[in-house]
Amino acid sequence: MAKIRIRDSKIDITKEAKILCESILSDLEKAKRPVLEAVKCSLDNSFYNSKVGFLTAGDKVVKTELNVSSVQKMTRTIFMLEILLEKLVGAATHTKREYYYIVKGMIKKNPELKALDFDDQPESDAIIDFICDMLEVYREEMNCFANDRGGQTYSKNLVVTETMSDGSTAVVDLSSLGTTPFQPKNKPQQFKLKPKKGKIDFCLVIESEGTANTLVANGMHIRHNCIILGAQGVPSNGVRGWCKTIQDQLKIPMYFYGDLDAYTLQNIFRTLKAGSAASLIRNADFSAPDVRFLGVLPEDVKKLDLNYYDVNDRDVAEARSLKKAKDALENDPFFQDKKNKKLADILHWLVREKKRCEQQAVFSVDPKDPLILEKVIIDKIKRGSYV
Amino acid sequence: MSKITSSSTAEYFAKNLQQVGFSSPSKAVLTTLKEAVDNSLDACEESGILPEILIDIQKTGAGASRNTDLVSIIVEDNGPGLDPEDLPKVFGEYLASSKFGRGRASRGQQGIGISAATTWAQLTNASGVRVTSKTKNMRKAVSAIIDVDIKQNRGILKKKETIDWDKPHGTRVEFRIDGRIVLNGDGGLLTYLEGTTLVNPHLSITYKLMDQEARAIPRVSNEVPEIPAATLPHPHTMKLGEFMTHAGLFGKITLSNFLIKGFSRVNEATLKELVKKGVAKGLLTKNLSAISEVEYKKVYQALHEIELVAPSTRSVLTVGEEALSKSVQRLGETDFFSVVTRKPTICDFKPVVVEVAIARFTHLTSEANDAPIQLLRFANRVPLQFDKGACAITKAVESVNWRSYGLNQPKDSVPTGPFVYAISVTSPFIKFKNASKETIDGGEDLVEEIRRALMQAGQKLSRHIKAEGKAADLERKISHMEKFGPILVQYLAKILGAPKARTERAEVGLKKLLGRDASSAEAELEQATSKLQQLKDKQRAKFGGDDGVTPVHQDEVDAAGTPSEAAVEEHEELAARDLKAAALKKGTKKKADPAPDARAKK
Ligand SMILES: Nc1ncnc2c1ncn2[C@@H]1O[C@H](COP(=O)(O)OP(=O)(O)OP(=O)(O)O)[C@@H](O)[C@H]1O
Ligand SMILES: [Mg+2]
Repeated sequence: MAKIRIRDSKIDITKEAKILCESILSDLEKAKRPVLEAVKCSLDNSFYNSKVGFLTAGDKVVKTELNVSSVQKMTRTIFMLEILLEKLVGAATHTKREYYYIVKGMIKKNPELKALDFDDQPESDAIIDFICDMLEVYREEMNCFANDRGGQTYSKNLVVTETMSDGSTAVVDLSSLGTTPFQPKNKPQQFKLKPKKGKIDFCLVIESEGTANTLVANGMHIRHNCIILGAQGVPSNGVRGWCKTIQDQLKIPMYFYGDLDAYTLQNIFRTLKAGSAASLIRNADFSAPDVRFLGVLPEDVKKLDLNYYDVNDRDVAEARSLKKAKDALENDPFFQDKKNKKLADILHWLVREKKRCEQQAVFSVDPKDPLILEKVIIDKIKRGSYV
Repeated sequence: MSKITSSSTAEYFAKNLQQVGFSSPSKAVLTTLKEAVDNSLDACEESGILPEILIDIQKTGAGASRNTDLVSIIVEDNGPGLDPEDLPKVFGEYLASSKFGRGRASRGQQGIGISAATTWAQLTNASGVRVTSKTKNMRKAVSAIIDVDIKQNRGILKKKETIDWDKPHGTRVEFRIDGRIVLNGDGGLLTYLEGTTLVNPHLSITYKLMDQEARAIPRVSNEVPEIPAATLPHPHTMKLGEFMTHAGLFGKITLSNFLIKGFSRVNEATLKELVKKGVAKGLLTKNLSAISEVEYKKVYQALHEIELVAPSTRSVLTVGEEALSKSVQRLGETDFFSVVTRKPTICDFKPVVVEVAIARFTHLTSEANDAPIQLLRFANRVPLQFDKGACAITKAVESVNWRSYGLNQPKDSVPTGPFVYAISVTSPFIKFKNASKETIDGGEDLVEEIRRALMQAGQKLSRHIKAEGKAADLERKISHMEKFGPILVQYLAKILGAPKARTERAEVGLKKLLGRDASSAEAELEQATSKLQQLKDKQRAKFGGDDGVTPVHQDEVDAAGTPSEAAVEEHEELAARDLKAAALKKGTKKKADPAPDARAKK
C-alpha cells in the first residue's frame, strides 16, 4: 500500500514510539521514574523569524514525570499510542471523534480498563495531541483527522492530481466543476498542482465562504485567471495545508480578504500566514508565509466610506477581543517582528479607534452593483493596496 | 414614664400590631412564643435562677379568621413569679417594663412584647391571656385571665382564683390565638427554639409541638449569666431626637445634672469644655423643662465636638466559647464545629460583643452541598428570624471570602454547604431597623467586628477542611496507582512485545515508586493533623487545665493570634484521627518502601 506523505520526514513513527516505550519500561524495571517530554506549545515558547516566516518552537519542554498524580495521564497515553500504532500499521484512517468511540468500545469490552475511561471527547483529543507533540509528528501522519471545514476552491485554470491509497491517481480539472467547489480534505500537501495553461495570476482567500461563493457565482473566476478559496473562519489544518501547497507549487501571489477586526487579524490571518502557538510542531507544513492582507484595511474604511461598528467595551466578547489585541501587541512575536509592523499598526488602529468593519460592508458602496466587491478587490491588487 | 398618654399608647399598638411581629398568622404564633420565652429567661437571669422552661403548642380547632387555626401556646417557667397586683400591669399595659431605658443587655427592652401578645389574643379570640404565677413568698399560686383595656391602656384582671401549684415559684402563661403553626425554615418555631437553646447553655427546655414527641434538652452550664450592671448611654451614640427624648425621662433637674447623671463619660471637665465651645453657663444651670429645642440642639452639637472617652465595655455579656461549644453539641451530632468569642469592643460608640459558632451537623451532610448555609442571627441572645437580607450580620457573612477557607461561595452571597452559622451580637444599645426587632442596623464598625469574628472561626474551619482534603487526596492517590499501574505496564509490553519477565520486573518497580508517593502523601496528612494538634497543645499550655473551663481572656487570645480552641480540641482531634483511619482503611495496605527520600526527584 502506498504511503501518502505530507512531508519528507525521516521520522519512523513506529520506531520512535518503540524507543519511547522501551525507555519507560526499562526505567520502571529499575524502579526509576520515567519522564515524558513534549515540546511546549504555547506563546511563551514561540519564536518568529521573518526569513522562516512561521512560528517555531523554542527549547521549552513539558515534562511529565510518573507519580501518583500523573499515572492516569501516562497510562492513557501509552494505551492510546498502542491503538494509534495498530491503526497506522493497518493504514486505517479515523477522525478524532471516531477514536473517542474506538477507545470507549475497547474499554466496554474489557472491564479491566475501566479506570481509563474518557468522559468526553476533549479528554481523548488532549491525549492524541500530547502523543503527537511528544513524537513531534503531525496528527495527519498518524492518520488521525479532524472533521476539517473550509477550503472550498474555484478556478478555471487549476488541475489537481492526487495519489490514492491504492497507488492510482485521480486528476481533477477545476474548470469542469462549474460553481461546485473543489474541497481538499486529509492531506492536501501531497497534491500535485499545475495550471491548465500558462500561469495563474493570483489566489484569493476569502474569510467568509458565503462571500467567496458570491464572487464565483457572479463569474469572477471566469473573468480573472485566479484561484478563489473560502476559508470559513479560523482555517482548519486542511485549509492551512492547502494554502501552503498552492503557495509552494504555483508560486503565485496570495491575498487574504476578511473582516477588519482583532479576531480576523490574529486568529484567522496570523494562523494562515504563520501558524499558531498551539501547533508549533506543524507550522512548517501548515502555513503560507507569503499571503498578504488585502483588506479590509483601515484606509478602505475611510476611502470607501464603509459602514462600521463601534466596539462596545461593555460587550463581553468584544471587550475580550480588544484585550486580546493588546496582548498580541505585547506578547505575540509575530506582531512584534518589524517585518509585520504594518499588521501591528492595524491592531494599534483597532485598539485606538475601537471600530470594526465587516468584509461585506463593501456592498454598501454601490448597492445596485453585485460586482462591486470584485471591482474593489481587483483595484486594490492593482494599486498594491495590501499589507 | 413617657410623655405620650397611656390611652393613646394601647390604641396605637392595637392598630399597629403588625409592626411588633403580628403581621401574619404564622408570625403571630412565633412572636407570642418568643415574647413569653424571652420574658421567662430575662426574669430568671435577673433573679439568678437557672431557667427551666416548658412549652406546649397545639392546634385546638379552627380560627375565627380565614385560613387560621385556633392555636394554644403555653409557656411555663421556674422564674421568680410576679406579685398578683403586678399582673394586670405586666400583661395588660403597654410600656410597663422593669427594663425600659436601662441600658442593659437584656432581651426585653420596651415593655411592649407581652401586652401585644395579650392584645392579639383578645382581638382574634375575644379573651386575653391566662396567667398563673407564684412568688417564693406565696403559699398558693394566683391564676387569672388578663385582658387589655385598649381605651385606657390598662390591664383588667378576670376570674381570679388561688390554686395549689407544686412549684416553689414561677409563671405560666396560656394564650389562645388565631394563627398558623410553622415548625421549620427561617421563621419556624423549631428554628426559634433551637436557636434559643444554642445561645442559652444554662437553659433546660422541654417542648411539645403539636403531636410530635416532647423533646427535653437539659442544660450544659450551671452558671446563670451575670447580667452586667446597667450602663448609661454615651452621648456620641445619640441623634438629636433621641437626646431630647432621653432628657424627657429625667424630669425636673438642671441641664448640667442631666448631662452628668444621664450619660456615661460626661463629667465636670466635660461641662467646662462645653462652656469653651460656647454653651452659656446660664444654660447649664437652667431646668430641663425650660430648655428650648434650639438650646438642646446647641448643647447637642457642642457635645459632639468634644472628644469623649469611649464608653465602658463592662455592660456587655458573653455566652463564652466553652459554654457555646457544649451548647452546639446538644443540638445534634456534629463532625466539626468552631466557636469564637470576641473581646467586648466599641462600635459606633456602643459597647458590643460578637460571638460566632460554626458547626457541621452530621444529619445535614447528606443534604445538597450547594444549598446555602443555615444562618442563625441573634441580638442579645434573641433569635432574629425575618428579613435577613438587610441585617448587619448577613452583610458581614457575605463580605468574608469563604472560598479561601475551603468553602463554596457564590459571588456576594453567603457560602454553601451543610453548615450552621450562629452569630450573636450583644449590646445594651442594639439598633434595629424596625420596631419588630428583626434586623440589626449596623454601621461599618459593627459589620467589621462581626467579620473579624467570622474570619477567626473560618480559619479554624479551614484547618479542619484541609485535613479532610488531605485524607481524601491520599485515598484517591492510593486507588489511582492500583488502578492504572498494571495497565501501563501491560500496554508498554504490548507495544514492545516484551517478555513476561520484564513486565513482572516493571510491576515490582512501579509498586516501589508509587509506594513512595503513598507514604509521602501519608506524611503530608500526618503533618496536617499534627499541625492542628500542636496548635491545640499550645493553647492548652497557655490556658492551663485539662477541663478547659478556664475563662478565655480575649487579650491573651488576640495576642496569640488565634482564639482558644481548648473547648473544641478534643472533638477535632478525634475527628481528624477518624478521617485518617478511614482513608487508610479504604486505601492500600501495601505500604511498600517507606524510604525517607520519598519525594526526592531523581
Ligand atoms: N415570666 C415572667 N416572670 C417574671 N417577670 C416577668 C415575666 N414576664 C414579664 N415580666 C415582667 O414584666 C415586664 C414587662 O414585660 P414585657 O414583655 O411587656 O416588656 P419587656 O420584656 O421589658 O420589653 P419588650 O417589650 O422588649 O419585651 C418585664 O419587664 C418583667 O419585669
Ligand atoms: Mg418582653
